[in-house]
Amino acid sequence: MNFDYLKQKRILLVDDEQELLDMTESILNEDGFQNIMTAKTVKEAITVSETYCPEFAILDVMLPDGNGFDLMKQIKSTSDYPVLFLTARGEDNDRLCGFGLGADDYMVKPFLPKELLFRINAILRRSYKDENPVVKLPGSEIYFDRAEVIKNGIHISLTAKEYDILFALYRNAGRIVTVDALCEAAWGDNPFGYENSLMAHICRIREKIEANPSRPVSLITVKGLGYKLVL
Amino acid sequence: MKSVPKLIRRFVSIMFLSSVLLIILNFILLVVYTLNQKPNVYPWATAEEVAGSLSYNNNGYVLSGDTEIELAKTNVWAILIDNATMKVVWSTENLPETVPMQYSVQDIANLVRGYIDGYPTFTGEAENGLVVLGYPKDSFWKHMWPSWDYNFIASLPKTVLSILVINIVLVFIIYVIANSRLLKSVEPIISGIQSLSTKEEVNIQEKGLFSELAASINKTSEILQSQNRQLRKRETARANWIAGVSHDIRTPLSMVMGYAGQLESDKRLSEDGRKKVAVIVKQSERMKNLINDLNLASKLEYNMQPVKCERQNLVAAVRQVVAGFININIDDKYIIEWKTNEDLAACFVNIDKDLVKRAVSNLIQNCINHNGQGCHIFVSVIEESSNCIIVVEDDGIGVTDEQIEKLNNSPHYMVCDENVSEQRHGLGLLIVRQIMEVHGGEANIGHSLYSGFSARLIFPVQNI
Repeated sequence: MNFDYLKQKRILLVDDEQELLDMTESILNEDGFQNIMTAKTVKEAITVSETYCPEFAILDVMLPDGNGFDLMKQIKSTSDYPVLFLTARGEDNDRLCGFGLGADDYMVKPFLPKELLFRINAILRRSYKDENPVVKLPGSEIYFDRAEVIKNGIHISLTAKEYDILFALYRNAGRIVTVDALCEAAWGDNPFGYENSLMAHICRIREKIEANPSRPVSLITVKGLGYKLVL
Repeated sequence: MKSVPKLIRRFVSIMFLSSVLLIILNFILLVVYTLNQKPNVYPWATAEEVAGSLSYNNNGYVLSGDTEIELAKTNVWAILIDNATMKVVWSTENLPETVPMQYSVQDIANLVRGYIDGYPTFTGEAENGLVVLGYPKDSFWKHMWPSWDYNFIASLPKTVLSILVINIVLVFIIYVIANSRLLKSVEPIISGIQSLSTKEEVNIQEKGLFSELAASINKTSEILQSQNRQLRKRETARANWIAGVSHDIRTPLSMVMGYAGQLESDKRLSEDGRKKVAVIVKQSERMKNLINDLNLASKLEYNMQPVKCERQNLVAAVRQVVAGFININIDDKYIIEWKTNEDLAACFVNIDKDLVKRAVSNLIQNCINHNGQGCHIFVSVIEESSNCIIVVEDDGIGVTDEQIEKLNNSPHYMVCDENVSEQRHGLGLLIVRQIMEVHGGEANIGHSLYSGFSARLIFPVQNI
C-alpha cells in the first residue's frame, strides 16, 4: 500500500521545549514525513499557520504565551486541518476539552514513537482519504472516493454499510478492529445485537475484495475479537 | 430525635416506680414501728395483771411478791378503789402523797381517760374495786377525747385513697413541668451530638441550663470541622503533589522514550547496542506506567477520580483491551487468547468503562511483567448466577499460597499507615482493587487452571 501522498503533508509541530520538538521532528522524518514546521509559542504557531498553510498540526497544551486549546480555536477559525494534541496533561477534563474543540486525537506524554506515528497516519488517512485514488489489495483495488471495488476488471459498488465497515478497517489497517467498534462504525452508538449482520456484511465484502473469499488474505478474522485488514 | 421521648418515658417510669416503692417502704416502716410500740398496751395489761394478782386475806389486800417488785422497779404506783366506798383500800408503798384517797364518779371517769395529778393512769378491774396504776409523769401520753364522726371513719379508706391519688397527680404534674423544661434544653444538645457523628457543622444556642455543654459541643464541632478541612486539604495537596510530579516527569520521559524507541529500530546500531536500547525502552515504559498508576491510585484513594458509571457491555470493553494489547504487538513470547464463550455476546453492567479497561490492562500487564520467559494469557468474560466476571489467567510462574495471602491481606504502602518497607509491590493490583471497590464488586486472585496466576473481577448484576 502506498501512502507516499500522506508523507508529503505539511505538518505543524508546536511545543515549548526545543528538545522535544527536535525529537518529534526526527521521529516524523524517519517515518518519511518531509514537510515539518515547528513553533514554540502561540504567536509563532499562528504566523506559521498563516504563512505555510499546514495540513496537520501536533499541539502542546501548555505554551509560554497561552494554551493549545485557544491556539486551536484560532487556527480553526481560519483553516480546517486536523489537529492532534500531544501533552503532559492527561486529566479527563483536558481530554474532553480537546475533543470538545474538535481535536482529532489526544495523546498524553510520554509516548512511544510507533504509537505517535500510527495515530498521525490514521488521522491523515481519514482526513485525506479522497486524495488517495486507490487502495491496492492482492485480489482487488478499492476506490474509497467513489465507494467502488475493481476486481478482475469488474467494477463492484460498495453499499453504505460495507463502505463504513471497510473504511473503519482501512483506517486501522494492520490492526485488529473489534466487532463492537465495527458495529459502531456501521450502525452508530449502542450497536449491540448487530453481530450477525456484521458477519453477513463481512462475507459480502470478502466476496467483493478477496480473490478467493473462502480463503481470505486481506480481511482476516481474529476469532472472538474482530477483524483485520492486511494491506 | 427518638431519644427524647425515650428519655421522658424513662424519667416518668423511674418516678412512678420510686413513688410506689416509697409508699410500700413507708407502709412497712409503719408496721414495724407499730409492732415495736407494743409497750403501749403494756400498762393496761399490767393493770389487769395487778388486779388479778391482788388477793384479800385477814390482813387486808396483798399483792403477790413478783408483781410488787416489778412495779417498784419501774417506779409505778398502784391503788385499789373500793366499789362500795369509792375510797382507796389498798396502795403500794411508793404512792405519792398528792394522790387523793377518795374518789367521786367524775374522778374515776377522768382518771380512766387521763391522769391523776399528772401521772398517766391505767385501770384494771379487781374483784371488789378498780385497780389504778400510776406511771411516772411524762412516761405516756394519753389521747383524752377519742371520738370521731362515724361517717368520717366509714369513708376514711376512700378519703385516704383520694388524697393519695391527688398527691400522685400533683407530683406527676410538677415533675413533668420541671422535666419538660430540662428536656427542652437537652434537646438541642442531643441533636448537636448526633450531628457531630455525621460530620455536620453544629451550632447550638449557648443559653439556658446547659449553656456550658452547648459551648463545648460547638467548640468540638469547630475542631472537627477544622480537622476535616485540614485532612481534606492535606489529601488534596498530596494528590496534587503526585499529579504535579507525574506531570513534570512526562516531558523528559517523552524524550527518553522517543529517542530510545527510534534507536531500537536503528539498523546501524550493533546488536549489543540495540539490546541496551531495548532495556531503556522497556524500563522507560515501566516508568510511564508507574506514573500513570501512581496518579490514578492516589486519586482513587482520595476520592478525587470522577467515576462516571453507565450501562455498558462488559464483553465489548474487555475485547477492546485485548485487541489493543495484540495491536501494539507485544513480544512474541506473550500470546493473548480470547476465551470468552461465543454465545455470550453481551453482559451489561453499570461501569465506568475507562476504569474497567484500565483494570483489565493492569492485569494483563501484570502477567507480562511477572513472566519474563513469556507465557500464554487467557482472557474471558463469564456470566455466573448474578455476576458478570472477567477472568485474566496465565500459564506462567504463578504465585504461592503465601504470596496470595499477602496480596489479599497486606495493605499496599500507598494506603498503609504503618512504616513497612517490604510492601514494595507494584501499584497494578492496588488500582484493580480500588476500581472494583468503586463498582461495588470484588477482585479475587489465585491459581489458574493453566497452572499460573489467575485474577477474577466480579461485577454484581444488581448494578445493571
